[in-house]
Amino acid sequence: MNSIHDLGGMHGFGPVLREKDEPVFHADWERRTFSVVNLAMGAAQIHVDEIRHAIEKMPPAEYLVSPYYEHWIYGMEALLMAKGLVTREELDRRIAEIAKREAK
Amino acid sequence: MPALPKAMVWDVIKTGMSARAEVKTPPRFKAGDRVVARNVNPVHHTRMPRYIRGKEGVIRSHHGGFAFADTRAHGEGDHPHHVYSVRFEARELWGAEASPRDAVYIDLWEPYIEPAK
Repeated sequence: MNSIHDLGGMHGFGPVLREKDEPVFHADWERRTFSVVNLAMGAAQIHVDEIRHAIEKMPPAEYLVSPYYEHWIYGMEALLMAKGLVTREELDRRIAEIAKREAK
Repeated sequence: MPALPKAMVWDVIKTGMSARAEVKTPPRFKAGDRVVARNVNPVHHTRMPRYIRGKEGVIRSHHGGFAFADTRAHGEGDHPHHVYSVRFEARELWGAEASPRDAVYIDLWEPYIEPAK
């Protein structure tokens, strides 16, 4: 698929910045995303190639402005919905619940 | 629905799941062979970057057989194929202004390439 993920040869993104003593995760949500997505892949028997393809199908503008682990979340949500394991409504409801709790 | 048994979770996370697999047919190419990356634009998943399509390279080495991402991404099975490290000169990819000393090595499944004419 010719999508925005295939950036090789494109100009304008600037140099690759190397971080000194780069941590494995930059935030706790990244650590949780790594665990949840890997475990969901095991539980739902999802191949890495499937989630890569799900990520390729992200809207290109959204892809470019979102961090790496958000791509994982997007891909996993899309696959779980496609496989009928979770509905959009269930996800939205849960996101709203957490947002409400965190707003307090 | 089949699921990963709890006892296997740690091993899978720690080691990753290798896609290495046996291919029944012998490799079509050997080190030194000149090949061309197919000029294709599939709407399905592929691991072949756009910038090598239609470009010529040389087989550096044969990695063995691996499950094919293009079919596995769509739940169509492993269909293992031989994978090769292929060297593409920067000048072949980016034109005469590129450095004559630069090259890119890309791992490619056999269906991505054909013999150079």
